[in-house]
Parts: sequence; structure tokens; C-alpha cells
Amino acid sequence: MAKRTVPLTAPDKLGFLLALVPYLIDQVRVTVTEAADHFGTSPDEMRKAVMLIAMSGTPGADGTYTHETLFDIDWDDFDERDMIRFRAAPMDDKPRFSSREAAALLAGLQRVAARPEFAARVDIVALMAKLARGSTGEPAPLAVRAAELADIQATLVDAVSTARRVRIDYVTTRGERTVRDVDPMSFEGVDDAWYLRGWCLTRDAERTFLLDRMASVEVLGAAEQHDAPLGTDDLFQGAETDERVTLAVPVAALPLIADYRGAGDPVRIEGERAVVTVRIAHAGILGRIAARVAGAVEAIEPKSARDALAAWARDALEAHDR
Amino acid sequence: MSASSRRIPVEERLFSLVLALLASEQGLTKAEILSTVTGYSSRYGNASDRANLERQFERDKEELRDLGVPLETVDAVGAEGDTKLQRYRIPPSRYQLPEDIEFSTEEFAMLTLAAQVWREGSLSTDSRRALTKLQSLGVHIDDSVIGFAPSIRTRDAAHEPLTTAIDRGQQVRFAYLKPGQTVAEQRTVSPLSLVFHEGRWHLHAHDDVVDARRTFLLRRIVGPVSPSGSPATTRPEPDESARALDELDALWRSTVATVRVRPGSEADIVMRNRPGTEDVAEGLNVHATDLDILADELAAFGADIQVLAPDSLREGVVARWQRVVSAHG
Repeated sequence: MAKRTVPLTAPDKLGFLLALVPYLIDQVRVTVTEAADHFGTSPDEMRKAVMLIAMSGTPGADGTYTHETLFDIDWDDFDERDMIRFRAAPMDDKPRFSSREAAALLAGLQRVAARPEFAARVDIVALMAKLARGSTGEPAPLAVRAAELADIQATLVDAVSTARRVRIDYVTTRGERTVRDVDPMSFEGVDDAWYLRGWCLTRDAERTFLLDRMASVEVLGAAEQHDAPLGTDDLFQGAETDERVTLAVPVAALPLIADYRGAGDPVRIEGERAVVTVRIAHAGILGRIAARVAGAVEAIEPKSARDALAAWARDALEAHDR
Repeated sequence: MSASSRRIPVEERLFSLVLALLASEQGLTKAEILSTVTGYSSRYGNASDRANLERQFERDKEELRDLGVPLETVDAVGAEGDTKLQRYRIPPSRYQLPEDIEFSTEEFAMLTLAAQVWREGSLSTDSRRALTKLQSLGVHIDDSVIGFAPSIRTRDAAHEPLTTAIDRGQQVRFAYLKPGQTVAEQRTVSPLSLVFHEGRWHLHAHDDVVDARRTFLLRRIVGPVSPSGSPATTRPEPDESARALDELDALWRSTVATVRVRPGSEADIVMRNRPGTEDVAEGLNVHATDLDILADELAAFGADIQVLAPDSLREGVVARWQRVVSAHG
């Protein structure tokens, strides 16, 4: 299991306790470490949870908690040997899924179900029916379209899993056509975009390539191992060389250009317009920003950016009339 | 017990509440709960704190319901609606996972992969909680299935409040910037389903002002989503989300634009990699669900693209470029 990185909320912790009780009772006797591994938590957290459960119970007929209505564990076994064994349990039910939990898994299944190797191993329809039946209410109304895999994607999935070098015919965000030899490391889908991350032999550095921008992919032969430094992701991080451009857009359109703005960058509201600073790698990005806000943008400064954006739009109109 | 002398964590209070209500066949009244259950009882003696304690209980009930605990309210016979006499209970049959539901290791691995589709936001919280519940079954994961995973982000701020509103049957209000527009409009809707299609999250809802079904893009909800205070006028049908997805698919198939691209350019490659694009005599036929959104996407290619059809799309793209030119005149 992936390690948890998000801080857990009280409902998360309650869900954990409610799932932990029936597990521990089914196991009869289990080490703290094994139980912690099973739930992807630390031995310390597991001990704390067991102690909380062991002090809990139900109020009896007279409204007080007594030994008859409390959970009870073998304390000697727990304290001396780090073993969990329940001697008494007022509850051992396995919880159902909430509507939202069932929906999250169902929609996730819709996304991955299209992969033929899974369809061969698991009856997805039966699995979905089981999830829906195990939910407290009707699963929440949530649906996703299955991820479609085109030929290029299938080739890249295969190249990653069999460690083959690929040659890609690629167009950069600056619009330049380039041919790169890449030893693939991973192929990831984010929303409807797919990214190939790998060692670019042409640049001798780790690079990320967007599937949308690949004209073709050719499999060359066996890939080599590379010691890639972590966290050098040029596609997703603004470089120091990024130019700052001041723009005006309609106030309502501000959220549409959020990815081009720094987190703490100031916004000046002037009536219906918002004046903001964006960070761009090159002037070609300005046209893309303009398109996001349906053309309602003015580049204020520097003058070079103002001229570049105006020229971009005039060129587009001219080419269109031809 | 030394309950009065120590601070009781929230999860312990909620856990004790679940245990007490599961164990009680006839259910417990609010007074019985507040005076006996761990986490409430130590504060019950303090009369000046009573109103806070009752509000705490109201919030705890919502938390339990959000987590899928089937908390029921039963009216006393002859005293319908009297909250002092109402009894609360959790019927074990509705709480407990049906006995015959089991998951194989391969199914479990598949569900783990499904949960990993959500890497952030409320769906990731929901799927993580679901996996924790699955772990109560004691199944061990078979790692061999996990190769690559497609993920979907739920970055839109509107996602969580809309999911909650659908779950609770609430009507909501938000500011919406229609594609192609520059001024947002205030909408009041009963949310019905959330659908991920063509890389975007869509809200399918009943617009309560125009009294008709409408689809909204979550990205274009440009202000906070807030409950109006009224219950939803329309509730989702069981197949609501599947139907909404089919409608978007049908719209996508029937909406076709014809464009000409500069050979070998970025526009050429990106348009050809777009699902559904076909070569035709005049250029390329591309599919979309919304022509205004497509106009934004096409306008980004500038001089590398010419829009041939339909006319409304061509005019929309040209208008975007003209707007830029006139802003810099």
C-alpha cells in the first residue's frame, strides 16, 4: 500500500476503527506489526487504536459502562508480546460502503476497466454489482468515460513494461519539430492527457513528453538503465528563466488562467477587469492564454509581449482569410 | 471510568456513538445519548453547555451519515416530529456488509487500482475510506496486476461541495461563466450527477430558474458553491450519471467541425491525436461536445489553423482573434 501522506480527519479515523474491529476479531490473534502493515499504518498508530477500542463499549441497561459491555483484550499478551487478541467484543460487524465511497470505486473501475488484461482476469460487471450491493444507499451519481487507448498509447505502454527504447517524432510547445530517442521510465494518464517520462538520449537528461504532441513512435531496441535525479520535471515547473507578463482579463475569467499564475501573485481589480502577472516560458504561450478567456485579454507590459500577442492575433486573422 | 478527567478525541466520541446505537434495538433518545455515551456524558451535567452539546450531536449525526453509517430517526407513536421523544438507532442489518459479499485477491487489486485513479480531492478521500473498509475483510493485495494507472484530478473547487449537496439533497447556487462569455451569471440548481467526459468534469443539474435540465462545466463555476437553504427540487434517478454520460457521448458523436491545419505544425499533430479525428477532402473532421469550448481550443493554434465549418464555429474563432487585436489597437 502507498503510505498515507494526507493528515487523517476524525471521520477517517472513525472509518479506520470500524474496519479494524472486525478484522482483529477475524484474525483471533495477530501481531501489532502485521495489523499495522495490513492497514498501511504505523505500529504506534495501531497500538493507540487498539487501546482506544479496548476502553470503549456500549452503555448498559442502566446507562453506565461496565466490564460486561466493554471490549476486552488480553493485556498481558499486548503489553509483553505486542500481540492483539480480543477476549470480549460488543460489536464485530463489517461496515458497508457509503454512497460516496461506492461511487468513487465504481467510477474508478469505469476508468480502468477498458484495459483488456484486467477484463480477462476479473468479471467487472459482477464486481460493480457487488460494490453497489455493499453500499448503504444508492451509489452517488458519478460516471467517467473509459480511458481510450490509441495505437501510440498501446505502443508506449508496451515499451515501458518491456523496457524498450523508443524514437519519437515530437512537436515542442514552441512549435518546433524534433526527433528524440528516449528510454521510457513511466507512462501516466492525467485526466485525458498522457505523459511519457523517460531519459532523453538526445538531450542526455530526464524529460517528459506529452502524447498529444507525438506525430509518431518507433520502437528501437532494448533500453538502458539511467540514474535519473528525482524532481527534475521541466514540463510542470516554471523555470527561473520564465518571463513575467502583466495582463488584464475579465474578473470572472480569472480562475481559467490560474495555472499560469504564481500562488501568491497579486491581483488588482479595476472595475470589470483584473490585472494580473503570469509567468510564461516564451511569447507563444500568450496566444494560448488569450484563447482560454475567449480572446478577452490585453497584454499590458512588457511592450515586447504586447506586440507579440497583437501580432499573433493579426497573423491568425490574415491566415484565416487566405 | 475516568471519562470526566480526560479529553476525549472526536473519533472516540463518534465510535462510542456508533457502538451505543448499534447495540440498542429500540434506539436511544437524544437525552439518553447525551447523558450516557462517552464523549457527551461528561459534559451533560453542565447546563450552560447544553446547547453546544446538542449542536455537537447534530454535527456528529451528519458525519456518521456522510461516512455511510445508516443512522435512523424513529418517531414516538403519537408524538410525530417531537425531537425530545424521537429515538435514534443504527439497524445492524443495514450497517453490516451482506455476509455473502467477498472479494478475491484479484478483485481487491483491481479495486486498489480503481481507487488510485483519484490522487487528490474528495474522491481520493472517499476511495481511501472505501479501501480501509475493504481491508476489514482481511484480503491481501496481489501486486502483480498493478502496471500503469490512469488518474483523474478533481481540482475544481466546486467538486466537493457539489458531491456533498447531491448526497444531502440540497439545492445550490453558484456563479457560472458560460463558454464564450466574459461575464458570469448566477445559477440556482438542483445538482443531479457529476460526469467526467472529454477530460473535463460536468455537472448535470436541474436549473430551478429556467425549470429545465442543464449541463455545466465545473471549470467554469467561477465562484463558491453554496447551499441555497432549500432542498433539491429534483433528485437523481438510479441511472442518472450513466444517462448523462450517454447524452454527452451522443452529443460528441454528432458535433463535427471541419478544420484545415498547416501540415506538420503543432495544430496538425494535436488535432490528429484527438480521439475521433478523421481525414476528409477539405481537411480534418474533429468531434466536440461544445462548440464554444472547441472555439477556445482551436483559436489557441493561431495562424496554423483555419476553421471551415460550421459557420458559428468559424465566426466564434475569428471573433476571439479580433477581440485580441482590438484590445491592442
